[in-house]
Parts: sequence; C-alpha cells; structure tokens
Amino acid sequence: MSPAEMRAPSSWHVVRAITRREVGIALRRKLVRILFLISAGPPLVFGIILVVRIMAEKASGMDLGWDPVLRFLQVQSAPVVLLALGLGTPLVSRDRSEDVLYLYAVRPVSPWIYAMGKMLAVAFPTMALLLIPGILIAVLRQGLMPETVHTGESLLMVGKMAVASFFMAWAYAGATVGPSAATKRSRWALLLAFGLFWLPDLIVQLVWRQGAYSAGPANASVDLLEALLGGGEAARGWVSAAVLAAYAVAGALVIKFRVQKEMTP
Amino acid sequence: MSGWIELRDVNLFRGGRPVLRGVNASLAGRAVGLVGANGAGKSTLIGALLGVLRARTGHIQVLGLDIPKRAMEVRARAGVMAEQAGIFPGGSGVDAVVFAGMLSGLSRRESLRRAHRALDALDVGEERYRPTHGYSTGMRQRCKLAMSLVHDPEILILDEPTVGLDPPGRTQLLNLIKDLRDEGRRILISTHILHDAETVCDEMLLLEGGAVAYSGTVTTLLGGDHGQMVAVGEGLGPDFAARLAASGLRVVDAQEGRIVFAGSGDAELLRFWKLVAEAGAEVRFLGRDHPTLEDAVVAVMEGNHVAG
Repeated sequence: MSPAEMRAPSSWHVVRAITRREVGIALRRKLVRILFLISAGPPLVFGIILVVRIMAEKASGMDLGWDPVLRFLQVQSAPVVLLALGLGTPLVSRDRSEDVLYLYAVRPVSPWIYAMGKMLAVAFPTMALLLIPGILIAVLRQGLMPETVHTGESLLMVGKMAVASFFMAWAYAGATVGPSAATKRSRWALLLAFGLFWLPDLIVQLVWRQGAYSAGPANASVDLLEALLGGGEAARGWVSAAVLAAYAVAGALVIKFRVQKEMTP
Repeated sequence: MSGWIELRDVNLFRGGRPVLRGVNASLAGRAVGLVGANGAGKSTLIGALLGVLRARTGHIQVLGLDIPKRAMEVRARAGVMAEQAGIFPGGSGVDAVVFAGMLSGLSRRESLRRAHRALDALDVGEERYRPTHGYSTGMRQRCKLAMSLVHDPEILILDEPTVGLDPPGRTQLLNLIKDLRDEGRRILISTHILHDAETVCDEMLLLEGGAVAYSGTVTTLLGGDHGQMVAVGEGLGPDFAARLAASGLRVVDAQEGRIVFAGSGDAELLRFWKLVAEAGAEVRFLGRDHPTLEDAVVAVMEGNHVAG
C-alpha cells in the first residue's frame, strides 16, 4: 500500500475486524462451543414438533391451534442468553486486565468503534441463532401447510422475528459487554451480567406483584415475542422494546466511557 | 524545510496539572529521539501526536496533517509500538499481528501475508504460532514491533522499544530499527536510554518538566563538527596552554601531559602543530574529544550547553 492509499479505514471495516476476531477467539473456548451446540437443539426439536403436529392434524382433521414459532423463540432465548453471557463477559475485561486498550487508541479505532465491534461480537451470533432457525421453521411451516399459511403471513412473521431478534441481540450484548467494561475480572463481569438479567425483574415483581412490566432483558424478550407473535398486549410490546433498547444503549455508553478513560497513555 | 512533526506552543494538562508546557519544535530528521527523564512528558507527547490526548492550546501537525482533526489518518499511516501496552490477547503471535493489520485497514488475507513477512524479517520463527502469554520479553518486543510494521507505515513511533531486553537482544533490536530507518521510514523513538538514541537518531527532542530543553540535530548537541581536540604527550601542559591561548585558540582543559582545546578545523590544527614545533613538544596522541550524548544531555539540563 503506498502512502497515498493509506487512508483511515472505514468504521465498518474496523468494527468487522474486532467482531471477527472476538467470535474466532470465543469459538476456541469449549464452553462457548458447547453452548453453540445446545442452542442448535431447540430448532431441531421444534422442527420435529412442527412436522408431527401437521401429520396429526392431517390424520385427525382437527386444528390443534398451537404455533411452534413463538414457543421456539421463547425456548431458544434461554440458551442464547447463556451463550451471550459466555461470549460477552470476557470481551472488555480481558483487554483491560491485559492493558491493551492503548493498542486500539493508537490505531484508527475510536471508543465508539471499539464498543460497536465488541457488542456486535455478541449481537451477531445471538441474532443469527434466533433468526436463522426461526426463518427455517417459518419456511417449513409454509411448505407443510400451504393451504392454511399464506406467503404474506410468513413474510410478516419473518419480519416480526427479525425485529424481535434485533432488539434481543443488542440488549443481550449491552447487558453482557457493559458489565465486562465495568470490571477487569471476567468472573465479576459474569456475576454482574447475571444480576442484570434477573434482578430487575425480581425487584419489579416484588414491588408491583401482579401485571408488572418487565424490567430485565430476559423477561422483556418474552413480552416482546408475545406481543409480536402471540397476540399479546401492544403496550407491553412497546415497553419491552424500550427496555431492551435501554440495555443496549446503556451497555454501549458504559463501554465507551470506561474505555475512553483507559485509552490514554 | 518544515518537519514531519510540527509543534507550535503546545500546552497540555492532565488532571489540572501542566504536562506539556509551550512545546515548540519542528522535527525533520529521519530518526528523532524523544528523550527525557521519567515524567518529562514523552508518552504524553506521543499521545498528543496521535490525537489520543488533546492539547489545551497550540497547534500540532504530523505528516502535514492537523491533529486532532485528522488524527485517524495519521494513526492509519503510523506504526506505534507502545511501551505500556502488551500484545492483543487471546491468540498466537501471528494472530495478534494479523489483527493489528486489519485494524489499520488491511483485509484479512493481505494482513496474514504481511504478518508473516514482518515476522520473518524480525526473525520470529515457529514461535509465532504459540500463545503470546508464554513469550519471553525479547519475543514480545519483536511481536510488538511486527504489530506496528504489518501495514507498512510511513512513520514509526517506538516508545521505549528496548526496555527489558538483555544486551544482545537490545543490539539486535536497535540494528533492526536502523535498518528500518535506512529503508526510508521516519522514526520517533521515545527512550530514556541515551545510548539507544545515540545509536539510531540523527535528531533529538529533549524534554524536561514538559518543556523543550533541546531540539535539533545530534551533531549539534554533541558540539558540532568544530568540536574539541585532545592532545597527549611530552611538553603539553599549562605553559603550552598559555601559548595556545595567546595564539587565539580556546583552551578548555590543561593538565601536565594532556591538553584539550576548542576547534578541529584545518586552521586551528595548523596553528597547534606550529606551536608544538616551536615548543619542542612531543605529541603521542591527537584526536577529537566529543562528549558522549549523556554528557551533552546533562549539560543541556544543567544549562551549560553551548551549541557548536
């Protein structure tokens, strides 16, 4: 590359480089590989359930009235949360404990680009694990029940799944990588992230008991899926989307400010 | 000629304390030594040159680009070997170098090709495939240098590159840096080991308490081409020194059998030899009496430096 060609790379190039490296490193860890395998379970199980259900409906002539797509996403979110915890909690704490943040600072990497790269390393696989099997199930459903499921309905379902997966993936990224930026020890980050996933809901439930809105990313995901795909309350869906977005934004801000402070000589 | 680093009245504060105070310099040398005691502001100045730290007042240009406005471009065109930072963790040496290349804008394939080339040039063998946490200090320094070189930068900024190395490792690394300088790269080396700066640099920026104590060529700092001469032999002493002084030469030091005088030009030497013949003295040795860089730096810090 001649000096004239040496321009600052695009932000997207750098974000992708960070994401690619982190996913590569994560895949070398046994725990993450196991979690990836576990998250492949629900799509298989729900695919089989779908086929069996259709065969049963055809044999009995009855409508069983049970849609596997919503249930799949709700079940799938559990291994995906565990995977996000495994992927996200060491990402920034490791860089902080190894004193390498300055290595990013002296290259064309701003704190925002760094934060986006690290968060995408969690959001991308998370979204893929929610969306790809979801799309496959929708396609299977359409293929097996062409007389009852219209193409428009399937496309709408995929769109809704994409929206839900997007909010869930970035919220999980914020709720796992954010705590990672708050401490130099991955174990503390894991503990903090666990707390973020379940404590807010526990507190809200204790205070308001019945009918409380979700305050943690795990319950907010369930509510959002219910609102989008299960005919749940629209208001709950909006609140859940806002809660998930808040986790994503808060996580990005924590990473940005923490890292900016330590990206100096 | 304007330098590749231009600093005009740069003031930088950290935690309310001034760390750089009115720094002015125009650095045009191929290899510039950034020298000063711990806490003199060397690392802060490097941070300011890369736009990592913002100067409160003043103007900074690197490669003709304004900092901090075009800091990202400068960072893409610079290779930085940072003292305080390690190696990107979580993989092998080659992984870290490839990642460094990708962060500077290379594609993965191109970065991999260049990473191997850089590691080959730095004599890193099969160790490149080992996890970096088991590397020796020498291997870490080589890996860090490869990380700074992988994207073939125009300028290299090396912060204490030889720290922690044993003497053979230090010599080897300094030779590598000299080779890089001779290839045409511009290098800024921050060090408190003056021998390293003397070996590699042709220009020097000496910081003391955040201010510039000296900025200029190493030759000038060492007294210039018209340095001092030392003569040893019979008949050279205070009496001979008085005759030298009477002839217009400046005598720096005179002891029995040894004399130091200013000037190494033809005219001064001709005058010296004429007086030796007249006095019937016997000169056994005559040579330049350059101070070491350490002497020169100490003189600057004590305010006794006289540029030659």
